[in-house]
Amino acid sequence: MRLAFNEDQATFSTVLGQMLGDEVEAGFHTVEGWGRYDYGHALDARLEEAGFFDAAREEDLGTVAAAAMVHDVARVPVVIECAASALLRPFLGDDLPRPLAVVVDDAPGAIRFLPQARALVSITPDAVRLARLDGQAEPVESLYAYPMGVAGQDLDWQPLDADPQTIRTLWQIALAAELGGVLDGGLASVLRYVREREQFGRPIGSFQGVQHRLATDAVWIDGARLLTLRAASTRDPAHAALALAHIQSHATRIGYDLHQFMGAMGLTLEHPLHRWTYRARALRAEMGGAPQAFLDYADTRWGKP
Amino acid sequence: MDFAWSDENDAFRTRVRDFLDRVLPSDWDATARHGPGSREQTEFSLSFCPQLAEAGLLVPHWPAEWGGADRPTWEHFILGEEMWAAGEPRGGQYMNVNWIGPVLMRYGSDAQKQRYLPPMAAGRAIWCQGFSEPGAGSDLASLRTRALRDGDDYVINGQKIWTSYAGLAETCFLLARTGEGRNGIAVFLVPMDTPGIEVRAIPSLIGHGDIHEVFFTDVRVPASCRLGDEGEGWTIISYALANERVGIPRYEMSSRELDAMVAQLKARDGFDNAVIRTRAAEAAAACDAARMLVYRVVDERARGEPPGTAANLARVAVVEADHKVTDFGMDFLPDCYSGTDHAAFQAHHERAIVTGIAAGAAEIQLNLVARRHLDLPKGA
Ligand SMILES: Cc1cc2nc3c(=O)[nH]c(=O)nc-3n(C[C@H](O)[C@H](O)[C@H](O)COP(=O)(O)OP(=O)(O)OC[C@H]3O[C@@H](n4cnc5c(N)ncnc54)[C@H](O)[C@@H]3O)c2cc1C
Repeated sequence: MRLAFNEDQATFSTVLGQMLGDEVEAGFHTVEGWGRYDYGHALDARLEEAGFFDAAREEDLGTVAAAAMVHDVARVPVVIECAASALLRPFLGDDLPRPLAVVVDDAPGAIRFLPQARALVSITPDAVRLARLDGQAEPVESLYAYPMGVAGQDLDWQPLDADPQTIRTLWQIALAAELGGVLDGGLASVLRYVREREQFGRPIGSFQGVQHRLATDAVWIDGARLLTLRAASTRDPAHAALALAHIQSHATRIGYDLHQFMGAMGLTLEHPLHRWTYRARALRAEMGGAPQAFLDYADTRWGKP
Repeated sequence: MDFAWSDENDAFRTRVRDFLDRVLPSDWDATARHGPGSREQTEFSLSFCPQLAEAGLLVPHWPAEWGGADRPTWEHFILGEEMWAAGEPRGGQYMNVNWIGPVLMRYGSDAQKQRYLPPMAAGRAIWCQGFSEPGAGSDLASLRTRALRDGDDYVINGQKIWTSYAGLAETCFLLARTGEGRNGIAVFLVPMDTPGIEVRAIPSLIGHGDIHEVFFTDVRVPASCRLGDEGEGWTIISYALANERVGIPRYEMSSRELDAMVAQLKARDGFDNAVIRTRAAEAAAACDAARMLVYRVVDERARGEPPGTAANLARVAVVEADHKVTDFGMDFLPDCYSGTDHAAFQAHHERAIVTGIAAGAAEIQLNLVARRHLDLPKGA
C-alpha cells in the first residue's frame, strides 16, 4: 500500500502542472460567437508533442499517471480531448489517430468531441470498433460545454483487437477522472471567488453556510480522486464502476453548489464556470450515469440478480 | 502508487483473523451488542487483551523497550481494522494501545512510564479520557475543571461528562486548568479510586454503561500525577490527536455489515430490486471513499509526513459511510432492529450514530476543512 506517486509519476505530474499553469487564466473571456466551450488547441498540441498521451504505455507511469493527467487537464478552463487519448488509445493498437470520440452501447444522440475527432471508437458488450473520420461528422449546437457532433450512417467500422470488458473498464476510469477533474477545477474557481467577493461587509467564503457546503464537496471530490487512482492502478472492473458511480452520484449536488456560490456571475459566458459545470452535466450521464454504475458495481460485488 | 497489500501485510491480517477466530467465543456477538464501554465488554477485554499480548498482537507497533516489536504503521492499522470490525473485543483498551501509551512514552516521567506502560502492554489496564465538560464540548479549550496547587499536591474540582469507560476505569487521563486560556491547561493521570471522585452512568442510545458523568470534589492528588508541565496540556493533546488522526477505522465494520445485510436480503430473495441494489452500492462507495481517504492519512504517517488536513477530510467521509450503511439496514431490513437475532446489525447501528459526534463533531471537521484545506477566510 503506497498512496504517493512513484518518482516518475511525480515528475510527470509536476511537468504537466507547469504546462497547464498557462491555461488557468485563459478561460476568463467570451468565446467567439458566444460559444459554450473553449477548445485548447495550443494545449492539445503541446501535450501531443511532448508525448503525454502515451503515458499509459510506459511501465513507470502507467494508467495511474494517465488517469491523474486526465483529472488535471480537466481542471483547466479550456477543453481538450484527453480522456480517450490517454486511457483508451494506448490499448487499442498502434498508430491510431487522435483526437478520439467514443460511443458506448450505441447510445443515441450527439457525441462529445466528434467535430474534432479523427476517429470514433465504439464500445459494445461484444466488440470494440473504430471508424476513421474524414468529414462525416456534423457539429451540433448543444447546452454542454463540449464540441458535440453527429455522424452519418456511412461509417467504415473496423474491429479492433481489444477486449471489450477491459476497454469498458478503462473508459469508466477515464470518465471518473475527467468528471472529478472538471468538478475540482470548478471548485477551485468558486473558492477564488468566495474568498474575494464581499457582501455584508465580509467575504462570502467566511459564512459557515457556504463553507460547509464547499468543504463537503471537497470531501467528495477528493475521495473520488483516490477511488479513481485506485481503479487506474488495479484496473479492477469493480473499482472502476465504484469510482465512476461515486463521482457521478455527487456531481449534481456539487454542480448546484458551484453555481449558487458564484451568483449571477456564474451564469455569464465571460466567467468560465459553465465550462466546468456543463462538462460535468454531460459526464454525469455517460454510460447510464450513477444508477447504472452502481448496478454494475453491485453485480461484481454481490453477484448478478 | 500501489493499492495492493504486501504479502507481509496479508500474512499479518491473516494472523489477526486466525487469532480472533480462535479466541472469540461463539456468543461474542451478544457480548459485543452491549457496546465497547459496557461492563460485559470491559470484563471480556480483561481476559482477551492478555491473550492478545501473549500472541504479540496487542502493541506490536510499540518500541521493544515497552513490550512492542517496532512493527510498521500499516500493521498497527490493519490490527485496528480487524479489531473494530470484530466488534472491538479490546473494549476501551484500544485507547491505551493507540494513543495513551505513546503519549506517556513521550511526555511521561520515568516513574509514570514504569507504573503505567507495563500493565497496558499486558492488556490489564482500563483508562478513561476526561476531556469534555458540560460547558466544554466542541470548544474544548473552554474547560473549567480546575487543579489548584497545594504544596506537593493538586486539589481538583469540576465535572466531566460523556466520559466513556469511566465506570470501570482505574485511571483517568484528565484535562484540568491550572491557569487561564489554552496555555493554562495541564494533564493529570488520576487514579479513579481517589476520594472525591463520583461516577454516574448516563443512560443512552449507544450501549450499556458507555458514557458517564464524573464529578471531582476536592480530589487531592500528588504533583507526580501531572503529565508534562503545567500549561503543556494543549500540546500534549495535540500530540495525542496526531497519533490518533483518523481515529477508529469505522468503515471496516460498516463495509462488513453491509455484506451481512446483503446476505440477509438475498436469503429472503430481497436483493433483486434495482433500487435496493443501487442503495447498497452507494453505501459501499461511501465506505470505500472513506477507506481511501483514511489510507492516505496512514500513508502520510508511514512516510513520516507531518499531520495535515487529510485527516479532517477523512473523518467527514467516515461519518457519511457509517450513516449510509446503517440507513440501508434500517430501510430494507427494519425487522432486524428488534429482537435478539441480529445483534451485530444493532451493535453496528449504535456505533454508527456516534460517528459524527464523538471525538469532535463532523461540523467541526468541516470548519477545519474549510479554513485549513480550502483556505477560506475566518468567520466574524
Ligand atoms: C459515544 C460518545 C463517547 C464519548 N466519549 C468521550 C470520552 O471518553 N471523553 C470525553 O472527554 N468526551 C467524550 N465524548 C464527548 C465528545 O467529545 C463530544 O460529544 C464532542 O466533542 C461534541 O461536544 P458536545 O457533545 O458537547 O456538542 P456541542 O459542542 O454542544 O455541539 C453540538 C453540535 O453543534 C454543532 N457545533 C458545535 N460547534 C460548532 C461550530 N463551531 N461550528 C459548527 N457547528 C458546531 C455540531 O453539530 C455539534 O455536534 C463522547 C461522546 C460520545 C457521543
